Amino acid sequence: MKAEEYKEQKEQLAGWPVKIISYRIGTVYHVSIHNEEPGAWIVKSEGPNLADVALKARKEAADSLSKIKRNSSPAGCTSVPGF
Amino acid sequence: METQVQTGLEVLVSTSWVEEHLKDPKVRVVEVDVDTKAYAEGHIPGAVGWDWNLQLCDTLRRDIIPQAKFEQLMSDSGISPETTVVLYGDNNNWFAAWAFWQLKIYGHRDVRLMDGGRKKWLAESRELTQDSPKQQAKASYKANQPDYSIRAFLPEVQEASSRETSHLVDVRSPQEFTGEILAPPGLPETCQRGGHVPGAKSIPWGKACREDGTFKSVDELKTLYGGAGVTGEKPVIAYCRIGERSSHTWFVLKYLLGYKTVKNYDGSWTEWGNLVAAPVEKP
Repeated sequence: MKAEEYKEQKEQLAGWPVKIISYRIGTVYHVSIHNEEPGAWIVKSEGPNLADVALKARKEAADSLSKIKRNSSPAGCTSVPGF
Repeated sequence: METQVQTGLEVLVSTSWVEEHLKDPKVRVVEVDVDTKAYAEGHIPGAVGWDWNLQLCDTLRRDIIPQAKFEQLMSDSGISPETTVVLYGDNNNWFAAWAFWQLKIYGHRDVRLMDGGRKKWLAESRELTQDSPKQQAKASYKANQPDYSIRAFLPEVQEASSRETSHLVDVRSPQEFTGEILAPPGLPETCQRGGHVPGAKSIPWGKACREDGTFKSVDELKTLYGGAGVTGEKPVIAYCRIGERSSHTWFVLKYLLGYKTVKNYDGSWTEWGNLVAAPVEKP
């Protein structure tokens, strides 16, 4: 067996740049969604129909990404004597 | 004890090299993924799968794999001290590099990474299997005493930060470096504070790779790190969040660029960013 129909594409999901990787092994399609930085996978999905698998993965990834809290605390550097 | 350094690019093998050596009894291929279920989807024929979360760390305290457990893992995997171990994995070899670093800590002589990792093997439509490898004759593996000259602990990082004794290279994403986010989306390990170790330079790990997952050329890598002042004349400590991405950068600096003193700080940001009263720099 081999991975076939291997494909990568870049998109934005919930405001985050992601890479979507899909391929088929035998009769099973695998779709994984990765954040562009640092390149880690966020969700994976698999099943017999590529469109369904991709839709499910996109939805789960968007849900996960929309929950990320962005901090905007003050810039600077703390300095603790003796540390 | 100084790590025995494999020099040049012999630490890096191509996917075609691996394919040609699938039946070579002197070579053992091992898959180590971030996604511990990936191996079961399909792996290189004959490859052993290691679960980084269970088999490449101490599962009681936070630490690398203990020596006795390491020896057992190697023996069970049919690896002897003379075996050429070829590691590969997902996310451009993050945890394969983590495994590489631990094999070097325990003194394994011949360890290599498959350039491009699992992604490249899949993209090239090379042979996969879901079968477990045939039972290997168990080896009786005896490791060296751990070589911590390639591992940085907190006191050394504190000294590097306050006295600039080593370059600190933060290999996380720019958003983690600035403290905008505490952990990459979808990854669980986090911290109480965002930002970076004072004095650290931001050189994200992925800048060392091409789009297909393979490493950039030595000249390109020299430009990347040298451009940030990391030339190898001064010791370097790489860190990330839990030490896996920084293993990747450690590999690049130590083996592809041949810098003499490079350490991986596996405590990384999940240690520093949770310390009470530790200085933090932003952005």
